[in-house]
Amino acid sequence: MRVSLTINGATRDVEAGAGDTLLEVLRREGVMGVKKGCGTGDCGACAVLLNGRAVNSCLVLIAKCAGAEILTVEGLARDGELHPLQTAFLEEGAVQCGYCTPGMMMSAIDLLTRNPDPTEEEIRTAISGNLCRCTGYEKQVLAIRKAAERMRGEGDE
Amino acid sequence: MSETKRPAFAVVGKNERKVDGVGLVTGHPKFVDDLSLPETLHVRILGSPHAHARIVGVDVSEAEALDGVACVLTHENTPATRHTTAGQGFPEPSPYDARMFDTTVRFVGDRVAAVAAETAEVAEAALKRIRVTYEELQPVLSIDEARADGAPVVHDEEDSTGIYDASKNIVADVDIDVGDVAAGFEESDVVVETTCETRYAQHTPIETHIVLAYLDSDERLVLRTSTQVPFHVRRIVAFTLGIPMHRIRVIKPRIGGGFGTKQEVLLEDIAGLVTLRTGRPALVHLSRAEEFIAARTRHPMRVRVKLGAMQDGRLHAIEMEALSNTGAYGAHGLTVLANTGSKTLPLYNKAANAHFYGQALYTNMPVPGAYRGYGATQGYFPLETAMDELAERLAIDPIGLRRKNHIRVGETSPIFAKLGEGREGVSQTVKSCELARCIDVGAERIGWAEKRGAKRVDGPWVHGVGMSIMMQGSGIPEIDMAAATVKMNEDGSFNLLIGATDLGTGSDTILGQMAAEVLGVPLAKIVVTSSDTDVTPFDVGAYASSTTYVSGTAVVRAAECVREQILAVAGPLLDAEPDDLRLEGSAVVGPDGQSVGLDRVCHRAMYESEQFQIAATASFVPTESPPPFIANFAEVAVDTETGRVKVLHYVVAADCGVAIHPKLAEGQLEGSIVNGIGYALTEEMLFSSKGRVRNPSLFDYKIPGALDVPKLDVILVDSYEPTGPMGAKSIGEIGINGPIPTLANAIYDAVGVRLRETPFTPERVLRAMRRS
Amino acid sequence: MALHSVETVLRPSTLEEAWEEKAKRGESARFLAGGIDVVLYTPPTVTTLIDLGGLDLGFVRADEGALEIGATASMTQIIEAPAVGGYLGGFLGTALRYVASPLQRNAATLGGTIAMAHPWSDVIPALLVLDAEVILFDGGERTVSLEAFLGERGTGRESHPLICGIRLPAATEGAGGAYRSLTRTAFDVSLLNAACVGSIDDGSWQDVRLAIGGTPALARRVRGVEETIAGADVSEEAIAEAADAAAAAIDARDDLRASAEYRRELAAVLVRRCLSEVAGTSEGRAA
Repeated sequence: MRVSLTINGATRDVEAGAGDTLLEVLRREGVMGVKKGCGTGDCGACAVLLNGRAVNSCLVLIAKCAGAEILTVEGLARDGELHPLQTAFLEEGAVQCGYCTPGMMMSAIDLLTRNPDPTEEEIRTAISGNLCRCTGYEKQVLAIRKAAERMRGEGDE
Repeated sequence: MSETKRPAFAVVGKNERKVDGVGLVTGHPKFVDDLSLPETLHVRILGSPHAHARIVGVDVSEAEALDGVACVLTHENTPATRHTTAGQGFPEPSPYDARMFDTTVRFVGDRVAAVAAETAEVAEAALKRIRVTYEELQPVLSIDEARADGAPVVHDEEDSTGIYDASKNIVADVDIDVGDVAAGFEESDVVVETTCETRYAQHTPIETHIVLAYLDSDERLVLRTSTQVPFHVRRIVAFTLGIPMHRIRVIKPRIGGGFGTKQEVLLEDIAGLVTLRTGRPALVHLSRAEEFIAARTRHPMRVRVKLGAMQDGRLHAIEMEALSNTGAYGAHGLTVLANTGSKTLPLYNKAANAHFYGQALYTNMPVPGAYRGYGATQGYFPLETAMDELAERLAIDPIGLRRKNHIRVGETSPIFAKLGEGREGVSQTVKSCELARCIDVGAERIGWAEKRGAKRVDGPWVHGVGMSIMMQGSGIPEIDMAAATVKMNEDGSFNLLIGATDLGTGSDTILGQMAAEVLGVPLAKIVVTSSDTDVTPFDVGAYASSTTYVSGTAVVRAAECVREQILAVAGPLLDAEPDDLRLEGSAVVGPDGQSVGLDRVCHRAMYESEQFQIAATASFVPTESPPPFIANFAEVAVDTETGRVKVLHYVVAADCGVAIHPKLAEGQLEGSIVNGIGYALTEEMLFSSKGRVRNPSLFDYKIPGALDVPKLDVILVDSYEPTGPMGAKSIGEIGINGPIPTLANAIYDAVGVRLRETPFTPERVLRAMRRS
Repeated sequence: MALHSVETVLRPSTLEEAWEEKAKRGESARFLAGGIDVVLYTPPTVTTLIDLGGLDLGFVRADEGALEIGATASMTQIIEAPAVGGYLGGFLGTALRYVASPLQRNAATLGGTIAMAHPWSDVIPALLVLDAEVILFDGGERTVSLEAFLGERGTGRESHPLICGIRLPAATEGAGGAYRSLTRTAFDVSLLNAACVGSIDDGSWQDVRLAIGGTPALARRVRGVEETIAGADVSEEAIAEAADAAAAAIDARDDLRASAEYRRELAAVLVRRCLSEVAGTSEGRAA
């Protein structure tokens, strides 16, 4: 089937099998920031924003994405400037192997779009579907909080 | 503390941005699966449905006939060379008991055949068309079954080597002693004994095992693989496939975690052979289920510890007996077993009598391998809980008992010399140990004095606190080697070429920091290339907590050689003796403040006068393995009605020597502790009565998520290791050892039950409470 | 990953069309709401998916105290809907927050949840104690109680009828609800769950509805206990007795997550805590 959707602001017409998942299609289209960790929705490494909501792209059929807007990690930086969340992740040491990072950041973006001043509990809930084995989540939570501050215009720097 | 010994650093000790960080946060295609090559074949592996069987016949004709199938591999058309898959230095201290495809299958999921096809879907369909006739054999599915008289023999083949006694399923046998424990226990005022069991657990790296093999334009085999051990991969694949090593290049790009499961040559032989046979790139990527079943796991162990002490708390005798289930193949069997004793017993060097003995046994179960902690994790469970029991019997505070008995600076333990990586070890004296301070700050942070024994009640919840202390090691002395090359560019920057393997740990960054420190430049002037066997010099790879200490020393040495060369070139430019010059601020600076930029110096050497490439390669084999130390403290709340354990607060105070990059060091502790908490509370691989893994998915093998983490306090205590590069030791593994015994001790403080089996699920805790 | 057997995805614009396409194809077609469970559980015999996304079934609306939720409303939509927040003190949202992770809640739909009827479901026990009705379409619209609907079904993996949505009747004045679940980690399915709705009049229990799920079977109403506790004093003793009776009544089995024995003990604890919470006792609030 042919599906027309917007990926990181650019409209694309993709050719796909009727039963293909969004994850497979994205990676086939060269969007490599979206990772496969399990294929069953248990790890969150494949998370993308679909019409503004973070979802496991391995569980979404491409057939449901006609006319959809997809945002992945590749769409966060603007004009060569890193998104405050990306900067915060780098500064806080929140990236170890980096495999869970794109998916986790998309969950964080979903949260911060809706809730600019989240509590620690809300941050942890927002990323509760993103498993990480390297970091223990500490610095990622700190990074998300720091990004939220900056995005509210409150942080230093 | 030796504050005076430690110089002020310019780059080391700073939280620099990771050199590979920007690409990781922007989703740059850096992982194995992110490179697509045209004509790539997808490889799927057929796993055995039986725990133990002979392959009597295999018919691949229908599979081969399927449209889109390029190549089918079985034991009939692949090399029969016995080898080990363990990524260890040569000669590997693991048996050569594996074949690419064997005629006997030894666990549910063991390799039977592999198909390479145009798509993974076609390859899967072809697997279903392979007709295999099995003669089922009786399996052994536990340590006890493996040891029973007349037990089925897991490895009855003639051509395997390095097995201690295959007829009895014993892969390895270790027995060392100091003094006379029997007499020691007689002489002791108090004796306690405990036996603990740890289970099958899996590393669950978020990226499963994956390799892409292809021929480069010179027909050399390139293996782009998610590995911790690129050089061992090259050697073992060459050996297994019977091809010259110089025809193979191994490249490790960014990888998605390892934790030990990628210290193994698991898939590269298959990918390599498919490419050699077909001329096409071959991709092998394990599914998550295969990652549980057919990758590597923790060694489940039953470990008994007996402690004898005098009334004043001084340990007089320690005995540890370890029985390790090493699964269907013996990779890492001996060394993990030995580590169970070698990384635990020296901690309590005050005991004049010690005995460590044990065996690693074959079973027809999934294959354990290297996993962070590497035996120490399994050993500390009974050791640190027995210490708590001893403290109770002696009516001494658990902290006081540790203080009385732990090793200190200037001390040694005879265990260091007697027990190493599966054979004799290397004697050493501890030169840095801030364990006392770790205990002090940790106890204060958790509120030990107020909380221990208080058993605060809050509805159905009862609170308790527990603690434990650990040591580990930094590399494998006199065995492992690391090397580094530094070469200079005419803009005053440097290439740092290291075999050392960054699995996300940040080793590229910290090794770059060390080079930058020696060369007097910012980190941005060090361009790091790592883990490419054509380009970077040898390094054993990322294991044994060796990268900072061993690879770091090689880096420092190479940088120092380059510094000498730079100063020699700069001397005439500054009209000074090289001995009077130093490197600082990207320049060579003389005694009177005169300076010349590094770019100028390199230009001179590269283009102007007595031209030569400013560069050096240096190697390092350590003569000791200075232990890092940690003290763990945890507060738990136990729901007395459901048995659920909540960890409220976990404190770890650590002595890792100088932290080259404090946030990355903290990150290692945070990650390993959360992994350890999972291993303590929720992680367990479950098996059917026929040896099949029942929960090979993250749906039913539960690892901690962001909501499962307690308040976590990581304190890096100031320390300096004189033998370490810039004073550093290591930090990669030790954290994972803490949670099991610390939480067990805390649960005892809360509800008075001693748990001796992991994980401490609500059901187990409740049952233990009911029984007591 | 991909459903290789699926050749066609239809997107009808009316219920009739959707129903007819299904009737034509029988077992080789399945309805598609959010699609999460479709990706995970569709067998290779299915060649056609019928996407319900174009049928305006994403509604969440109050209707004179009653609550109507469409089949394609996502868990997140339901949790965030003001109408749900205002119904029985937000009880439904409380239970739905236990479902999986936010990533799954953003895509999982009510219709898909009911159709799959996973035995560990956190949603179904909550709907059962709210006396939910399922609105179906099979040529015409009809309504059946959720309990009856689940009773008619088999394992939940089979092809299912066209679910349009659910209707929750107006809540009793002054009623309260409570939900409890034990999981291994936070992002997990229930080892056991308990949902309870009830009201208190003059110190006695009125209209108590109780469901226990994950036994490991799918949640069921514990009618015997509901009848016994009706009219009883709101006291710790009565609550404990009811909880023990509920635990004895469930069909507890061993599975890889827990043993039958533990589930039975747990059931008593979770039911007691639910009832206590509804009764407003301090014990209920602390646990």
